[in-house]
Amino acid sequence: MIDRPWVPAWILLLGSASTLVGLGWDLQWHSDVGPDTFYTLPHLFIYAGAAVSGLVSLAVVLAATGATRSGRVVDPAVGGRRVAVFGVFQAPVGYLVSGVGSALFLLYGLWDEWWHGLYGFDAVIASPPHVGLLTSVMLAMLGSVMTCAAAAGQRWAGPALVASVAILLGFSMVVLVAIPDTSDIDERTVTVALLSMAALACVASFTGGLRPVVAMAATLLLVQVALALFSPWATRLYAASEGLPLRDYTNGLPRMALLMPAALLLGVAGLALARRARSSVLGGVLGGAALAATFPWQALLLGGAVQPPQQPVITIAVGAFLGAVGGALGDRLGAALRLLGPARTREVV
Amino acid sequence: MRRLAVGLVTIGLLLGLAAPAHAAGTQDYAPVVIVHQEHLAAGPYELTVGFSTWPVRAQQSLDFTFEPAGGIDRFTGTLVVVSPAGEEENLRRPPGVDGLPRHPRQPAAWGLDVFALDEPGDWTFTFGLDGPLGPATATLTVPVSEQPGPPLGLSWLISTVPLFVIAGVLAVAVARGGRQPVRTR
Repeated sequence: MIDRPWVPAWILLLGSASTLVGLGWDLQWHSDVGPDTFYTLPHLFIYAGAAVSGLVSLAVVLAATGATRSGRVVDPAVGGRRVAVFGVFQAPVGYLVSGVGSALFLLYGLWDEWWHGLYGFDAVIASPPHVGLLTSVMLAMLGSVMTCAAAAGQRWAGPALVASVAILLGFSMVVLVAIPDTSDIDERTVTVALLSMAALACVASFTGGLRPVVAMAATLLLVQVALALFSPWATRLYAASEGLPLRDYTNGLPRMALLMPAALLLGVAGLALARRARSSVLGGVLGGAALAATFPWQALLLGGAVQPPQQPVITIAVGAFLGAVGGALGDRLGAALRLLGPARTREVV
Repeated sequence: MRRLAVGLVTIGLLLGLAAPAHAAGTQDYAPVVIVHQEHLAAGPYELTVGFSTWPVRAQQSLDFTFEPAGGIDRFTGTLVVVSPAGEEENLRRPPGVDGLPRHPRQPAAWGLDVFALDEPGDWTFTFGLDGPLGPATATLTVPVSEQPGPPLGLSWLISTVPLFVIAGVLAVAVARGGRQPVRTR
């Protein structure tokens, strides 16, 4: 496994993809149907994804530890530099992060089970155990991004990195459901601007090119379309197979897909316009403003009710500011990801 | 390593095959069991409000049923639920809609399934019924006590550990990335 870095990296990516599909389906289930048990198919996708991520991370750490002890060289393309853990294990940093995320997911799964004993079925997504579960998954997905970045220069690593960042960004949009909509600006929209521009600038900074950024935005759009088609359909089918009716007033709109920014390519355009100035901050301003201006309206594409922000100008201005912050942070994150892989000078993706 | 990979794939396949089969065999959705009822007079009509858990505690999910005497087929109904802070709940309905939904698992009655009231205090349920004897309204005050379990602050502290880990990883990455030379594009 550690002789072929692509094997564990793609397995980890597969785990992340499974969890994303499961989350989209599960959100739809709780919106359209309601009651569930631990043993539902959406939960299976989520938990199997986390289990696969955890097992492959553990396998790589054990294999790297064994190889190091027997005096063999472990290719840093396998998850990046090794970190000594407890003085016993030699953990490639990417797999350490994904493994810790998966282990935390398991612990918060137990916490969630206990919580349901007290609080009953899930009535809200943003419960404390769910926040623990979802952020644990994000940590594991961050590890997946790191494992792909560590293998930069290998043919498989470019598409894998693009997919891993798209999955992480798409999944992270679930935080929007926990953000209260209490003030005149649209907090959810400006959060989209921040996270999106950070992810886009990170890929741009890491690869030094815009093509991978376009590929990442296009990948997330594909994921969004796929989830928009899949989640409501699978929910109806699964509810029928379980003999459960849909709730009245269910509109069938795809919950998870609606949280993802459909106009992410506008964020890429912002980076492209600022390219001559070589400023990810300026790119973040332009992209963040464009995303903040368009995100509240994307429900129109799916026939949903639009709730425009009360203060659209201020929302766009805050979106531009947070886009700039995201651009600056993403630039640095991309530079940090470059430290994981071998030194190189040319565009790698 | 090949054996390990085969083992992982086998475990995945077993999970994928066994869990749906297990799920199909063990699905057991709780029936709507009403443990407490409140009887309301709405003009000339009688309305019974049922609760699957009593007393109601903040953030604890339960099923509510709303049954007018004579059955829901004879009426159209509306419900407006207002929190102790004075905010109206949308009850999972589109904006501007205040009709009463049927209870999915007891469709002969109106109701709310797997529904939680967020805050402790007195919640106000205002019903509107329109039937053979004309329109009428009724109001029910539902007392909601504090949420169960540990204090919410402690629960959030426990649950945000991964968030702090992510923040730590990103902070280290941003600090290290900031020391890298600017890339020529």
